[in-house]
Amino acid sequence: MSGWRAQWAELPRYLAAHVELTLLALLIGLAVSLPTGILASRRPVLGRWVLAGASVLQTIPGLAMLALMVPALAALAALTEGLGLGSLPSIGFLPAVVALALYSVLPMLRNTVTGLVGVDPALIEAARGVGMSPREVLWQVELPLALPTLVAGLRTATVWVVGMATLATPVGGTSLGNPIFAGLQTRNLSAVLLGSAAAAVLAVVLDGIVRLAETGFERRSRARVGAAVALLTAIAIAAVGFEASRPGSGASREGPPLTIGAKSFTEQYVLAKLLGGVAERAGAGPVAQVSSLGSTVAFDALVAGELDLYVDYTGTIWATILKREEAGVDRAAVLAEVGTRLYEDHGVVLLAALGFENTYCLAMRGAEAQAHGIGRISDLVPIADRLEILGDYEFFERPEWRAIESRYALGFREERAMDASLMYEALRTGSGDVISAYSTDGRIEADGLAVLVDDRGVIPPYDAVVLASRAFVERAPRVAAAMRALTGRIDARAMRRMNAAVDLDGRSPGDVAADWLAACTGTSGVCEAH
Amino acid sequence: MIECRGLTRRFEGRAVIDAVDLEVARGELLVLIGASGSGKTTLLKMLNRLIEPSAGTIRIDGQDTADSPPHTLRRRIGYGAQRAGLLPHLDVAANVGLTPRLLGWDAQRIAARVDALLARVQLDPATYRHRDVTALSGGEQQRVSLARALAAEPPLLLLDEPFGALDPVTRDALQEELRSLREELGLTVVFVTHDMNEALLLGDRIAFLEAGRVVRVDSPAALLRNADSPGIDAFLRAPRRQAERIEALLGTSEEGA
Repeated sequence: MSGWRAQWAELPRYLAAHVELTLLALLIGLAVSLPTGILASRRPVLGRWVLAGASVLQTIPGLAMLALMVPALAALAALTEGLGLGSLPSIGFLPAVVALALYSVLPMLRNTVTGLVGVDPALIEAARGVGMSPREVLWQVELPLALPTLVAGLRTATVWVVGMATLATPVGGTSLGNPIFAGLQTRNLSAVLLGSAAAAVLAVVLDGIVRLAETGFERRSRARVGAAVALLTAIAIAAVGFEASRPGSGASREGPPLTIGAKSFTEQYVLAKLLGGVAERAGAGPVAQVSSLGSTVAFDALVAGELDLYVDYTGTIWATILKREEAGVDRAAVLAEVGTRLYEDHGVVLLAALGFENTYCLAMRGAEAQAHGIGRISDLVPIADRLEILGDYEFFERPEWRAIESRYALGFREERAMDASLMYEALRTGSGDVISAYSTDGRIEADGLAVLVDDRGVIPPYDAVVLASRAFVERAPRVAAAMRALTGRIDARAMRRMNAAVDLDGRSPGDVAADWLAACTGTSGVCEAH
Repeated sequence: MIECRGLTRRFEGRAVIDAVDLEVARGELLVLIGASGSGKTTLLKMLNRLIEPSAGTIRIDGQDTADSPPHTLRRRIGYGAQRAGLLPHLDVAANVGLTPRLLGWDAQRIAARVDALLARVQLDPATYRHRDVTALSGGEQQRVSLARALAAEPPLLLLDEPFGALDPVTRDALQEELRSLREELGLTVVFVTHDMNEALLLGDRIAFLEAGRVVRVDSPAALLRNADSPGIDAFLRAPRRQAERIEALLGTSEEGA
């Protein structure tokens, strides 16, 4: 398990980033919920509204909350830039911190209100009676008496935020979610386990520290409270210090010479490493990778200038960015149109089409396809009523499937949706006949599947294309030229094999990309490392 | 010392204190007595503005209490809350030293004052100084509360049913304590109770409240001589009967001796 050692070496970086994220989010959450809670405890009507609002925030699923922060911050950034206040990063650390801080508000706010409302009114009156001003009553009587409840809220928030912070990864924030997300996509369970265990240990440690402070307050032991504060400070300093001492640190936030993004699947990890290698050979400075980004997060980040390069797919851009719906469009026409529109409307340069598509396709067992003489989707039509088709969760809801169904007049005996990894397994063991495969999935080769040709051209083209911001192309023309030279150099088979090397053979995306670079640099045409 | 004119307090349109005129002389102990809901506690709390008057004026030593911020006013007036009202997160010494600390006394002076007061209310400073107030008995809590009210050397003391929840022996001891304290310090005291025995034993004068009005202010002896209203008579009936019983018992036991 070579994965273990690599993950282990990266762990301190993930942990430090995770700690920074958690502590800062809690600090902001506390700074918001304490005054709000004090105000709410004094105005019952306002209090009810504030608590209702915080509860609604809490019901937003964690991943959605973090993803929503990206467009929200992008809008805010546009506003601050418009006002000449400089720009805000909309991916990475900031959206993660803001979302996590919002999450931490409810338990702390609720407990602040509960704690303050629960203070015996007779004691407050006694305090006023001996001559305390309203402020003195608050600080010297109400808050100290509400403290156990406040601290209980802080403990709840701490455990939530530590867990939730793993979701910072898809919005580009480094956290213990990095090994978890990458591990899930590349079927590297040791990485998933390591990330999860580290998050759990961190939650237990931080909870223990807060509890130490709690018992310190209860027993009025300055030593305990002091120890808790000292421990927390030490952890914060260690995390910040670690981040600061790393070479090229602050990279993800200040923008190094080159930042390459990757969405959250194997092919993207491999290609991001591959582009990084090409850029380094073309004389780019240090290269930073931001991986496991959500699908549209990467594009938004490129437009916002926080990413310089990443690989996307023409069909995705066609549908989600250009908002085009027509199907059956020619592959070259889509590529040209996407290139023009991105450049003119978004300031994004399409540098190269790598030479393969990653699209939905129909696949079946190779031996069976051969036996029945099936090579095209049209060949399925006469026998489809005897066959069962398996698709991933979204396939049967997608326009591709509707186009296939109607344009080929295909009627299968049964359609079943299931998890993608089980789909391949089901086909192998004969519990289905046709599946909705991804055209560059390594398992197509490994399982000896036959990909059926879309002979009526109804599936939109999904050419893999290298996208860059215009500013980057102007800043680094040599690197851009090296990217342009990647045009047509990787075909579907080559990509499938690289994916298989990660998914099935357990190699790291970096190693696989390095193999390609070693074998293919200086050659021309379609190239494969093996 | 205290002069109330047309003092009124309305809650939701209803007058809880209704146009009260009242004077308290320097060095006097005035008892406010009346049934539950008669307004005696409200009247007391209006004197240090824990409850703000809806109308009327209060002058203390000629100065209108509305002229200074309420918390600075209260620092000059000792206050003993019902059920002691000790702050549970502070120890005995910190509770007693509250008002001096708010007034900015230095730590040494506060510590000396606290020890002197604890000794004065019969609590050994060395033993009690750092005790947890929640671990004290009811009588001890009231002693600490009394010491706290006296801490900043106020000339005026407001006490809200301070001995209400105590057993008779402790109550008697504390009543004696209060009597000697006020003689020694020349305090002016306003004291709320619903117990006529206590009122008769402690008060220089007794103000009788009914439905937010002071219906009579008189010395205990004058009240006993002539109740002159059914309400006051009802309050006096119990102490009178008890006194007669005890007298009778004392008489028979003396005869037997």
